[in-house]
Amino acid sequence: MFTIFRLSILICLLYFSSVSLAQDALQQHEQINNTDNNYFKVRFVSKLKPIAINTMHAWIIQIQNNKNEIISNADISVKGGMPEHDHGLPTRPQVTKYLGDGCYLLEGMKFHMGGWWTITFIITQENISDTVTFELNL
Amino acid sequence: MKSIYRNIILVFILFVILFTTGYFLQTKSIHSWQASEIKILESLSISSLPPLSKDMSNRVANSLDAARFGHQIFFDTRFSINQKISCASCHKPELFFTDGLELAQGALVGQRNTMTIVGTAYSPWLFWDGRKDSLWSQALSPLENTLEHMGSRVQFAHIIFQDKNYKAAYEKLFGAIPDLSDSSRFPDFAGPVKNQEWNNAWQAIAPDDKQIISTIFVNIGKAIAAYERLIMPGVTRFDDYVNGLVSGDKKKLTALNRSEIAGLRLFIGKAQCTNCHNGPLFTNNEFHNTGLLPAPNQLPSIGRVQGVRDAHGDPFNCLGKFSDADEKGCADLKFSKFGDELIGTHKVPTLRNVAETGPYMHAGQIHSLKEVIEHYNLAPQALIGHNEAKPLQLNMVEVQQLVEFLKSLSAPLSTDPKWLNNPSKKQS
Repeated sequence: MFTIFRLSILICLLYFSSVSLAQDALQQHEQINNTDNNYFKVRFVSKLKPIAINTMHAWIIQIQNNKNEIISNADISVKGGMPEHDHGLPTRPQVTKYLGDGCYLLEGMKFHMGGWWTITFIITQENISDTVTFELNL
Repeated sequence: MKSIYRNIILVFILFVILFTTGYFLQTKSIHSWQASEIKILESLSISSLPPLSKDMSNRVANSLDAARFGHQIFFDTRFSINQKISCASCHKPELFFTDGLELAQGALVGQRNTMTIVGTAYSPWLFWDGRKDSLWSQALSPLENTLEHMGSRVQFAHIIFQDKNYKAAYEKLFGAIPDLSDSSRFPDFAGPVKNQEWNNAWQAIAPDDKQIISTIFVNIGKAIAAYERLIMPGVTRFDDYVNGLVSGDKKKLTALNRSEIAGLRLFIGKAQCTNCHNGPLFTNNEFHNTGLLPAPNQLPSIGRVQGVRDAHGDPFNCLGKFSDADEKGCADLKFSKFGDELIGTHKVPTLRNVAETGPYMHAGQIHSLKEVIEHYNLAPQALIGHNEAKPLQLNMVEVQQLVEFLKSLSAPLSTDPKWLNNPSKKQS
């Protein structure tokens, strides 16, 4: 009988503890990472903070080599998408300007769904090419 | 033995407390949302709709004079081959600027379902395949389309030139209209259209005169766009409900019933509708392939993959010589993407007033909201490209709850009713 009593108390506790905790959106407008083969260190800062869906905006990409020297002559291409939905970015972002200090202006960034996104930069400098992927949860 | 009875009584009392409390909590919990859910609901509310930004490609976009001029043209059936078709023939204000038909009926039956105009001023792309990048450029297309108004731009320029009210309105906005009375330079009908006779007449016109005509034609579009920018959705029961959640106004929480609230939970949750139908207009204004079958007697539509090519090749696009924008004002066109991923994708329509604007999909293939949801529930394989949607595992009750919720998105437009009527009945 005491087992039944304890079980009922457990049910009560479970019942009242089923309040979900709210989760704040992650602040993800600035990230830094090494490329896959460690040739470059890449940092991005979104000019739209926090990053919101359905708003075209620009990012600043800063690139250094593995000796922390700034890279001023990189070619940068961008790929991105939502692996869970098997589609890419809704736009074709492009680096439009070198800003100095290893920084490049990336225009045309846009996300059109909430959820998990990946953004991959393919960095090429002279005969070296390496990639880095960032993840965002919007 | 006594302690057994005592424990039985205790357990009984505990369960009575539990279920009585549970009953009241359940009553309260229909309005209980997580903070992250409320954030999503707020993002869908019309109170999140930002002020309409400038259209850099149209310098009269925010002019009330232009809107009044555009309003007249929108309802004017003279802008057609048979004097019977106006923009309002398909974009009927009483049907939230749609027509209730599977396929648009202009001079002939079209290939596409009529899209609403409500709130489209917020969209960077127009038409189901996004082949136009501004309201003014979009407005020009049906005027010369063989299936729609079946007219020609010289014909339209003559209407403006000959109607003294139109001429005055035009000149106030765009400056003096050149003299078009020389029929050897400006025939009655001519334009780059399918009608061979009119096309030949257009090819015979001198380049400078073509420029004169196309400029008048474009300005007609810009005036129509100024009018269309005023056509905005109203506050729905859904918006009232969200307002009640945020403000704590309990009276507003009664705006939705239990079934509609259950549908709303599905809409932002299990049914994943907000993947595409997000933001205060319930659309991301982008293009997706959802595995739709073509309409009877039609091939599958390749959609945006061709639409984006057309937009870039369009002389009336944001970067073209008829646009008032510089390159900075044309980011959507400049950074638009191409490629096979766009095969079979079509524009996500707004869901505001969706219960009043069927049939649905780009060719009116689906007639009821229930069938639409059942389509997404199944997520069939696409005939061309790939279906981005996945099966939802909704049961019949949940399908119905979603339908109920969608019905709560209807409300009279916020636009002043004076803009919804034909301003010149004699021309109707």
